[in-house]
Amino acid sequence: MGNKQTVFTQEQLEAYQDCTFFTRKEIMRLFYRYQDLAPQLVPLDYTSCPNVKVPYELIGSMPELKDNPFRQRIVQVFSEDGDGHMTLDNFLDMFSVMSEMAPRDLKAYYAFKIYDFNDDNYICAWDLEQTVTRLTRGELSAEEVSLVCEKVLDEADGDHDGRLTLEDFQNMILRAPDFLSTFHIRI
Amino acid sequence: MSAYYRNNGYEEDPEYSDSSRSRNYTQGYLKTRDYSDSPGPLNNSDYPSTRRNPYSEDSRTSPDYPGFLAEPDYPGSQSDPDYPRIRSNPYSEDSRRSSDYPKSLAEPDYIGSGSNPYRPGSSREPDYSESQRSPDFAGSRSSGNYARSRTNPDFLDPMGEPDYPGAQRNSHHPGLRANSNHPGSRGNSEYAGSRISPYRDSREQPDYPGAENEANSPNIFGEPDYPGAENNRNPSNFWGEPDYPDAEDGPDYGSSETPEMTREFLSRTSSIRPSFRHGDDGPLGILERENEGYPGSIEMNSMEMANPYGRSVPGAPGTGYVNPAFVGESSLGPAYGDPPLSGYDWHKSPEGQKLIASLIPMTSRDRIKAIRNQPRTMEEKRNLRTVVDREKSKQPRGLLELRCCARCLNSVSLAYRRSKNSLSELLNSVSPWQKTLKVIGGKFGTSVLSYFNFLRWLLKFNIFSFIVTFSFLIIPQLTMAEKNTLQFTGWELLTGAGYFRDTVMYYGFYTNSTIRHGPSGASYNMQLAYIFTIGACLIVCFFSLLFSMARYFRNNFINPHIYSRGIAKLIFCWDFTVTHEKAVKLRQKNLSTEIRENLSEIRQESIKLTLHQWLLRSSAYLAAWVVSTGVAVACCVAVYYLADNNLQFLKSHRNAGAVLLLPLVVSCINLAVPRFYSAFRLVEHYEVPRHEVYILLIRNIFLKISIIGILCYYWLNMVALAGEECWETFIGQEIYRLLLMDFVFSLADSFLGEFLRRIIGMRFFTSLGLQEFDIARNVLELIYAQTLVWIGTFFCPLLPFIQMIALFIMFYVKNISLIVNFQPASKAWRASQMMTVFIFLLFFPSFAGVLCIQAITIWRLKPSADCGPFRGLPLFIQAIYSWIDTLSKRPSYLWVVWIYRHLIGSVHFFFILTLIVLIITYLYWQITEGRKIMIRLLHEQIINEGKDKMFLIEKLIKLQDAERRASPSSFTQERRDVEVRPEAAWGSL
Repeated sequence: MGNKQTVFTQEQLEAYQDCTFFTRKEIMRLFYRYQDLAPQLVPLDYTSCPNVKVPYELIGSMPELKDNPFRQRIVQVFSEDGDGHMTLDNFLDMFSVMSEMAPRDLKAYYAFKIYDFNDDNYICAWDLEQTVTRLTRGELSAEEVSLVCEKVLDEADGDHDGRLTLEDFQNMILRAPDFLSTFHIRI
Repeated sequence: MSAYYRNNGYEEDPEYSDSSRSRNYTQGYLKTRDYSDSPGPLNNSDYPSTRRNPYSEDSRTSPDYPGFLAEPDYPGSQSDPDYPRIRSNPYSEDSRRSSDYPKSLAEPDYIGSGSNPYRPGSSREPDYSESQRSPDFAGSRSSGNYARSRTNPDFLDPMGEPDYPGAQRNSHHPGLRANSNHPGSRGNSEYAGSRISPYRDSREQPDYPGAENEANSPNIFGEPDYPGAENNRNPSNFWGEPDYPDAEDGPDYGSSETPEMTREFLSRTSSIRPSFRHGDDGPLGILERENEGYPGSIEMNSMEMANPYGRSVPGAPGTGYVNPAFVGESSLGPAYGDPPLSGYDWHKSPEGQKLIASLIPMTSRDRIKAIRNQPRTMEEKRNLRTVVDREKSKQPRGLLELRCCARCLNSVSLAYRRSKNSLSELLNSVSPWQKTLKVIGGKFGTSVLSYFNFLRWLLKFNIFSFIVTFSFLIIPQLTMAEKNTLQFTGWELLTGAGYFRDTVMYYGFYTNSTIRHGPSGASYNMQLAYIFTIGACLIVCFFSLLFSMARYFRNNFINPHIYSRGIAKLIFCWDFTVTHEKAVKLRQKNLSTEIRENLSEIRQESIKLTLHQWLLRSSAYLAAWVVSTGVAVACCVAVYYLADNNLQFLKSHRNAGAVLLLPLVVSCINLAVPRFYSAFRLVEHYEVPRHEVYILLIRNIFLKISIIGILCYYWLNMVALAGEECWETFIGQEIYRLLLMDFVFSLADSFLGEFLRRIIGMRFFTSLGLQEFDIARNVLELIYAQTLVWIGTFFCPLLPFIQMIALFIMFYVKNISLIVNFQPASKAWRASQMMTVFIFLLFFPSFAGVLCIQAITIWRLKPSADCGPFRGLPLFIQAIYSWIDTLSKRPSYLWVVWIYRHLIGSVHFFFILTLIVLIITYLYWQITEGRKIMIRLLHEQIINEGKDKMFLIEKLIKLQDAERRASPSSFTQERRDVEVRPEAAWGSL
């Protein structure tokens, strides 16, 4: 216990608890996971809020993310400046959103961001192609991929503008009850 | 101001047609000279304003957001994505201008345009004073309009076009309209317009649609929109700029470029930074950094310009959102609020203030929840939290006398929160197997995981029941236990008889006396304890089942009508839990197969079956149903006759093993018949795998529940009335044996059956391959066992404990068997939906049946005369009756008697209660119906607005083309016209 107290102050821990869906213990566990990624980089004392970033290469090599086809997107979306280098706060944010407790809309919002490859706030055909290619490891032919994209847009595009807005996306997610349990990374 | 926003957002939803209001605006301003000056087409200058509707941002940031997820306006807030675009465009614009037009008109614009998007609300800087941009101004004005529009007789005027309003509404900035040539002020005006525009439909606006992501000509689509965003700065420069597409910043860049371009970039990038090699989406920041030598360095310039620019915004540090690399990222941020402000400052923005204001009155629990659900970075959330806490602590200071009280309350709530946190931590640490579950999820995905979650959930149930019975029944009984004289041979473990008969395990051992230690010690009435403990157990189980069922239903059947199998869900429901490399690959392979199947289905929509095929298929279904029902009935009959003769059989065969016959037969049936049912899939080829699973479930549950029903009939109608000595203990033993036998069979099945199947699949018939985990069958086994436990708890209070151990072992056995013998499922399972079905099954036939059986036992049966806590009574319930009688003699307990007589025991009370519940249910049902209609209407509205938008875009394009053909002369002129025309299109519609 004494060891734990030195990493964060009581206030910091409480703030983390209030801002994420984690308990104190989980926050500590996540911190140690984070620290383990780059032991020489991350100090064991966070009371002074050091501005440390763990590079993408290390974050992406976590077993939770290593084989995820979207790992790069996930890390980018949650990193502060989009380059995949994460501070502890970003790291906690990421797992908080991916945790079991996060509500559907928060998850949907970030899922949308993840699937929006070109960050233009719409999931357009190009984004969909990227998604499908990642999902199927390029097993589908280009023609099939474009057909799939067309179909998806057909199904989910509520206002027929040829791309999905966050709203379209959320609407669709509502119809996919599995989303809550699948958009979830255990730590 | 916040009230204003709320009004707009939540109250005037669909009925309060925005269009009508906007119309009012027009009317309200009709008299202003500027308006009359400006030609009709001009008023659509507001068109962009609708687009970057700030209101939606408000709705996003509004703390109500989590609660209002299902609200129709919530989606509206997506419109704000446009917002960032405005921001990002200025970047490229400015920068480009500065490079191409060194004399840089940009300077003045720069500030204006820059801070405009950056700090929409905080624009109290002097620069804006002349424009209507100050938030206060906008707010007050808009509220004025709002009020006016309310009073305006035209208010209800049903104006059809939903998109229209935006255009019209903005006409209430006539002054700006007049200045249409004056870029700066116009842009401002639009900005103001956008601020107050409460219109939520901005998502339909064409914004920049094509410009970024659609290959077709950014110019055509983009241009009409840009005026809004850009016209602070000299728009003429912008139009027709040949390098326009190139100059777009990060996100747009990736998409709007031709593939070659992207590839080129990528190849450059990859050479330097391998990790981004395949990331076509590599943020521009990186691309840029690494593309030093790239000839078209306009982007470079633009970004560099943007950077200092970002810094120049007061209070916004150069890091974070303003960082060019983050432009793309942050551009999504506004979807919920005001992205450009960095975490330090966000809460100072009007949105932030509003959010804070709405957070303050909340209870601390709601507040934390609201803060948590903000899609913002940790830093922003933390700042928000501190600010709100500070404000909160400031607040009660005004009321001096309350201060102490408030502080006290604060500290109490803080302490409560802390203790709750530590409690939840404790509970979390209790929840076992986190790691194992992670491994299973990583290898087999959520669907198989749901079985283990269910198992764990049942385990918790049983632990709870055990704790209750242990502390209220077993411990008191142990304090006065007599010496057990029976021999323990080991055989009892299997039969549950013999030695165990005289232990706390069975009903018969419990005393009927009042336990009292010492002359002054408190007395403990075993009869009441027994009946209340079992009752409490069942009631708690009932409620926890009910609540978890309700939760699952809420999450998974939000709107079952719109549930359809679609390809979209396949794509966006990638299972992020899966982390095992092989599993990921397999899953990807399966997914592509599934997508292919889906596509082929779509291609040849519905295959018409020939009559012959149809007959064949229906006869197969019919035969399968007949056979399965026949088998189930045959099994039931067999069990019935076996049970019927069981008592005689036991009398004639006195050896210990004889009692095992019935459990053995039942377990064999339970083992063999479900497998037989599973084999039917070879005959009936269901097209939808879900149907197959559901039909299998129905057949299995029918079989298992009818067998349990027959056994219950046997116990309650034959054993209980046969005059056995201590029939309750006998029933307890029977249930124990059934449970144990079931457990042994499952173990054997896991170790032998599944193992053998793997050997066969691997060695001999490789075509069979590895088997897949049959979730339905396994879950039904769990449900069956749990039903037995619930029935048996009354006769054998230790049964939850036994089941607890069984489940514990089962978890490990199934886990090992799963990892060794099985492969991940090839079809996507609707895991969460199945979980809902499982819990429903556990609730409905299983738990409801148990309640009936317990009720019959307690109200109808005569307890055995020589054993158990109820010995000598005519009915079990008599214990309660006599207790009430005793209580009624003591005046201090009269309230208990009153409650019993008038509420629990009164028919009238229940009659009235039922009536009230029925009325409430009916009302809720009606409300639901109304909501359904509302949902349908809103959905139609979305579609209509989409159509409107497409129509308008087409019109714009046409106008633009016409314009170009008409006046090919001067660049500037044309651009101005085009800028006006699109607006005209909006205005005239």
